[in-house]
Amino acid sequence: MHSEAHTSTSQRKPVHRHAGAKNHLITFAVSIILTAIAFIAVASESVDRNTLVPLLLILAFVQALFQLYVWMHMDQKGHGFAALGMFSGTLVALVTIIAFVLWVWW
Amino acid sequence: MATHHAVNGTLPPEPEKATLEGRNKVLGFWLFLGGECVLFGSLFATFIALRDQVNGGPTASELFQMPVVALATFILLTSSLTSVLGILAMHRNKVGQMQAWFAITVLLGLAFLGLEIYEFVEYYHHGHMLTSSAFGSAFYTLVGFHGGHVLFGVLWIALLIAQSFKKGLTLVTAPKFYVASLYWHFVDLVWVFIFTVVYLMGMVE
Repeated sequence: MHSEAHTSTSQRKPVHRHAGAKNHLITFAVSIILTAIAFIAVASESVDRNTLVPLLLILAFVQALFQLYVWMHMDQKGHGFAALGMFSGTLVALVTIIAFVLWVWW
Repeated sequence: MATHHAVNGTLPPEPEKATLEGRNKVLGFWLFLGGECVLFGSLFATFIALRDQVNGGPTASELFQMPVVALATFILLTSSLTSVLGILAMHRNKVGQMQAWFAITVLLGLAFLGLEIYEFVEYYHHGHMLTSSAFGSAFYTLVGFHGGHVLFGVLWIALLIAQSFKKGLTLVTAPKFYVASLYWHFVDLVWVFIFTVVYLMGMVE
């Protein structure tokens, strides 16, 4: 452990601290798979409507988080303000949507 | 880092964050994206409230053609990947690669717009118009607004590529590319929800 820590500090670190294209390709593959699952779930018509809608929404939110944290680099440090902006924006959006959904229901 | 750049002409590892102006640009852009969330949130809310009010016209499940929507989704998702690969090339200071990846992003964006226009024309012939029903108005406002964002992104990134041929990759141009790629990812993110809420959930009924 000691020698490892020593070499990593003595050698100059690579200029880019990203893991390279690998993480992005994995995210791309995951997004394609999630989209395909959503498609198949709808096309097969075998999933009950009351489970299908929450399933589709969960798949969408998981994909959105992948985009934000990997592709938009929110996983890197110094993105506290970005997270504040996005989550407060999303909060207002969700409150609006929930209000409208409830309005239609009653 | 900025002085380092000035002395020997090499860019720092993350040129978009090397100057205060660049950092402020990125910060301000995140605020803008937060506001965009609210904008699209209210359009989604309107659509969800009005999507069953078809006024005797075709319903969502009668209209939507899944193969076209699937292709559009795949194209936009791929363009999101190519724009992030452009940023990786930028971090490695490879201007040519960066320009190539962003050029592919622009082409994919144009392909997406072409499909969307084809789709809208098709729906128009089926009597699904902006003024034909509340469903029509909500649909075209939400999906059209997103399409408008794609069009703006295509023009913006195309102009940035043109500028980069003239000015190269500098501490001034790098933050512009970074911010444009954030915008492009956000546009793709909104499409994920349009695809889910408008198309897939429209097919469920």
